[in-house]
Amino acid sequence: MDTFQHLAAGLAAATSLQNLGFALIGCFLGTLIGVLPGLGPAAGTAILIPLTFTLDPIGALIMLSAIYYGAMYGGTITSVLINVPGEAASVVTTFDGYQMAKQGRGGTALGIAAIGSFVGGIAATVALIVVAPPLAQIALSFGPPEFFALMVVGLCLITGLGGQSLLTGLVMAVLGLLIAMVGIDPVRGAPRFTFGIPSLYDGVGFIPVVMGLFGVAEILLTVEAPYREAIKTKLTSLLPSREEWRRSFGAIARGTGIGFFLGLIPGVGAIIPTFVAYVFEKRLSKTPEQFGHGAIEGVAAPETANNAYANAAMIPLLTLGIPSSPTIAVLMGAFIINGLTPGPFLFKERPDLVWAVIASFMVGNVILLILNLPFVGLWARLLRLPYQYVCVGTLLFCVIGAYSLQQSVFDVGVMIVCGVIGYGLRKIDLPLAPLILGLILGPFIEKSLRTSLEMSGGDFSIFYTRPLCLGLLLAALVVLVGSLLRPPRPEVRQSNA
Amino acid sequence: MGGTVRRGRLVACVCLLGIFAAALVTSLDYSLMDALGPGPGFFPFWLSLLGAALTVAILVETARSRDIGSGSILPSRQAAWQVGGVLIALGAAAALLEPLGFRLTMLLFIAGLLFALGARSPFAIVLTALAGSFGVFHVFFYWLKVPLPIGALGL
Repeated sequence: MDTFQHLAAGLAAATSLQNLGFALIGCFLGTLIGVLPGLGPAAGTAILIPLTFTLDPIGALIMLSAIYYGAMYGGTITSVLINVPGEAASVVTTFDGYQMAKQGRGGTALGIAAIGSFVGGIAATVALIVVAPPLAQIALSFGPPEFFALMVVGLCLITGLGGQSLLTGLVMAVLGLLIAMVGIDPVRGAPRFTFGIPSLYDGVGFIPVVMGLFGVAEILLTVEAPYREAIKTKLTSLLPSREEWRRSFGAIARGTGIGFFLGLIPGVGAIIPTFVAYVFEKRLSKTPEQFGHGAIEGVAAPETANNAYANAAMIPLLTLGIPSSPTIAVLMGAFIINGLTPGPFLFKERPDLVWAVIASFMVGNVILLILNLPFVGLWARLLRLPYQYVCVGTLLFCVIGAYSLQQSVFDVGVMIVCGVIGYGLRKIDLPLAPLILGLILGPFIEKSLRTSLEMSGGDFSIFYTRPLCLGLLLAALVVLVGSLLRPPRPEVRQSNA
Repeated sequence: MGGTVRRGRLVACVCLLGIFAAALVTSLDYSLMDALGPGPGFFPFWLSLLGAALTVAILVETARSRDIGSGSILPSRQAAWQVGGVLIALGAAAALLEPLGFRLTMLLFIAGLLFALGARSPFAIVLTALAGSFGVFHVFFYWLKVPLPIGALGL
């Protein structure tokens, strides 16, 4: 079967009544997560995993993917209406979106954001369809040393590009890798760091850790500093005027390109494409002084880049098994819970699943547009929910999510402890993303490292005598050295996207 | 320097050093290399060593730097009570989840926490607590077939 036949089969699966329903529920819940300040996409996607326990893997992954990109869009609504990004990637949207809302143009800001997100998402999915199969085909020729080097590159990119300091990023990644060592040794089957506690034999659960670090910690921070109430703005005129269309057209096209290409690089995170798209538009604009005062391009470009990034970031996961961000890592966790390992072999072994999920991105983007244009007023009304109810609701779902995975109170305890740790780490600006990615990649990195060394009889030259492996490790070194020499990045509250 | 980012980082570094040192010592109990190649202790050993070295570097950098945030990271007294209240409520919920069952535990958890966080409408609190406990249980347990605990009272 060629790509188009696979895609057609995937589209047929994604548009079945059942899977359409899952995509719709996922988009709705994702948008809800994005809308409610204090719950980012990573924790939001993680706490909704129990909803998918009884679904077949295709339905489960379609729904969780829809939650992911729904949340990426939902954050826009809070950015525009209360000047608080629902998730970190929407920070830039506050610059002009909130100003537009204050001028009574909040509806137009949300409208152009929805349209830009739709265009960016669809274009990135089309590019994914073109790029992913050949990339997966190349990755099929990789051996354990190449996979080890590839994962090292991914971790270096995430630590080097994602945080403000390379050292703190690296130490968090190492901590994540070390936590992943708890449990049964994947090669020899011997228990490690379990201290006689049976609950640790299966390792430290990834989902409770994510819920704690992102969900509980975020709630603790919200309780400490509750968010503001939504401003009252007219949401009647959602479609831009002819002049606003003219100004937004180029911004949407450029935002798509920027979001897509930066989405291919693990570790870039969702914030950078939005900032790059915004700065790019401001530089190109004939009226840069309007930026920060309600320029529609200042909403169109970053929102488009955000959604293009969200879809493109699935490429490293689906083709190489490398998650680009904590939220994608949660999706990777969902694949693993369903007995699937994302990567090139998945294209070969379960093309039905991969292509149904990819096709569902297109369907999901259409659903998001439908959900977000006519129902924007409904989402805005949700912002008037008092924060106490949002916090309690979130904690309730965190408890369900942590418990139900293995019916273990121990996992609820892990979640609470991780919540305290995440709260503390956020306070002192230590990055959480490398920790999460270290935790999910840990078993894979260790297995490929040890298998490589077994292949070579313990000889480390296997890593520098294979050209591709050497090239990848050199690339990792370049990333690390480059991020050491890089000027400090402006401070942005850390992302969990 | 009380309660600053800098002080917080120094404390975090000391904790991390403790974790890495303990992991390093524990990993020595597992074989580093055996006849088949690297043993179960190989990767954790080198990770712990790397982590400890990186932590020392951060410790030195933080101790020498004057640029790391000087603003307080400690919550106000009222916020600290609320944060503590959330953690106590979560801990209590975890402890009671299996003996009392999901429905009763969550009924108490939601009502108590809402009140502690400042919600004062009895109608809204009771309604939310009922929906979040009995309602959510029904959806997850019966519709979605997600296993949730039933306590000694059968609830």
